Amino acid sequence: MAIIEVKSLSKEFKVKVKEKGIKGSIKSIFNPNYNIINAVNNISFSVQEGEIIAFIGPNGAGKSTTIKMLTGILYPSNGTISVMGINPSKQRKKLAYNIGTVFGQKEQLWMHLTPYDNFKFFGAIYDLNDNQIEKKIEEYSKVFDLGKFINTPVRNLSLGQRIRCEIVASLIHEPKILFLDEPTIGLDPVVKENIRELIKKMNKEYNTTIFLTSHDIGDIEKLCKRVIIINNGKIILDDTMRKLKYNYLNKKIIEVRTKRKVNLHGSEEYTILKNVDNCLKIEIDTTKSNVMDIIKQIDEDEIIDINISNIPLENIITEIYKK
Amino acid sequence: MKKYLHIYKVTILDNIQYVSNIVLRILSFAIIIFVLFNLWKYMYSDQETINGYSKSQILWYVLITEGIWFGVRNKNFTNEISDSIKSGNIAYSINKPYNYVSYLIVKNLGDITIKSLVFVLVVSTIGTIFIGRLKFTILQIPFVLIALIFSALIFSIIDISISLISFWIEDAMPFHWVFDKLVLIFGTIIPIEMFPNSIKTIFSFFPTYPIMYGPAKIIIDFNFNIFCKIFLVQGIYLICTIIIMNLLYKEGVKKVNVNGG
Repeated sequence: MAIIEVKSLSKEFKVKVKEKGIKGSIKSIFNPNYNIINAVNNISFSVQEGEIIAFIGPNGAGKSTTIKMLTGILYPSNGTISVMGINPSKQRKKLAYNIGTVFGQKEQLWMHLTPYDNFKFFGAIYDLNDNQIEKKIEEYSKVFDLGKFINTPVRNLSLGQRIRCEIVASLIHEPKILFLDEPTIGLDPVVKENIRELIKKMNKEYNTTIFLTSHDIGDIEKLCKRVIIINNGKIILDDTMRKLKYNYLNKKIIEVRTKRKVNLHGSEEYTILKNVDNCLKIEIDTTKSNVMDIIKQIDEDEIIDINISNIPLENIITEIYKK
Repeated sequence: MKKYLHIYKVTILDNIQYVSNIVLRILSFAIIIFVLFNLWKYMYSDQETINGYSKSQILWYVLITEGIWFGVRNKNFTNEISDSIKSGNIAYSINKPYNYVSYLIVKNLGDITIKSLVFVLVVSTIGTIFIGRLKFTILQIPFVLIALIFSALIFSIIDISISLISFWIEDAMPFHWVFDKLVLIFGTIIPIEMFPNSIKTIFSFFPTYPIMYGPAKIIIDFNFNIFCKIFLVQGIYLICTIIIMNLLYKEGVKKVNVNGG
């Protein structure tokens, strides 16, 4: 059953255009010019209950605008949205009880209060009684390991600790869907890994649907089974991670270190990416050739070391963005 | 209702961090009061009453209205609302299960509670020491409280409504400036009765009446008829300003533009 259903969704922004200089500024007061920006342009997709979906794209692609329309923050210009059968822009308050949001770059916690006081506050906002709030704080405190700093004012917490608290504040009312907009931005690799584990755990234990946007390929690779790529306001790919990898990972990278410089020339079957200091780097399209045929072209006595790898997912996604 | 009480409580808790700021406000309050006291004392140097106000009544009036001004006005908060609309940060506050404008009112009341209570003490102390005891009975307290709470509510709602204009224009500051100056001149440092008859009627419809004049009048010159009249004006003002604020928000929120996404 689809928990999120989006049909022909569009969002236009009217942006004021000013000419250069003081003259232009004065002119724009009396005769303002506007540009219409299609931030989201006729997109449709659905998300199933319990899915962890990556909604990604380059900066300005329209992903945050989409999330903001899904959570009722922005009004769509066209199209329909149904989140758990609710129209977000018309029933924002009703929807708020069923969803949680974390915007990595914006804090929703009260900085002078402790996480504990913040959780009590958010619990009350979502109409939970004191017993329910205490139970939830205790539960999440264990899951998210908040024990050491739950009574420290938020302003004194590290970024990683704060993000953990932001997520707990968004989960206090047990939302069915959690929207995460770049939740790991600015975090170190260890904390990122920690947050990813917690997101996975949440999805597994509470069957929470996760709608994630991130520029961090690690987030997408380690968390999501499905990915939607948006660019210039349009969906350019909507597929499972498995298929994405299968379709794009037919290319392999062979890195060979040799005793002497090898003279190989590129062909239709392979591309030489680098050939300096006795190090050769080749990209092979495995639909046209196989790895062994290429390696056989190098004298095996000359080979010191060899490494065969997939193209990093980051490169694949960059390639898709560029299309 | 419970959630709004909680918002109120949390805002007070949050504001405890800024108690030291109140000391500075008291200092600037004392300087302004010193100037105004001397000004009015000079005006009364050759007469006992002016337009029905004795010297001690006018000094108490100025002290009370300035106290309301310092205690209730929350410039930081109203600027914060305008800025959040302009930057789009409002988006992160409106996606919660509460009525956003009610949230703003309650948060503002939470912000001004400690400050207002401190100014009640400051005003009573300065007044008793420098003007003399006011003819005031305990029975007046509930009426004064009602008038003061309504005054704070109307002031908050008007200030929030002006900030909500930021949905349409780049900067609501000039509107705040004009409103502040009108409130200060017509009713805060000079009571309405002091103005010529021709403009007195016009200014009795102005927000200064329910915000400043009303509560001050009930304190310095209480009688039940005056209270009923002021209570009625405050009630009408409250209903009208709530309607205007909600309309502004309802229409304005459709214009939310979130920078950077």
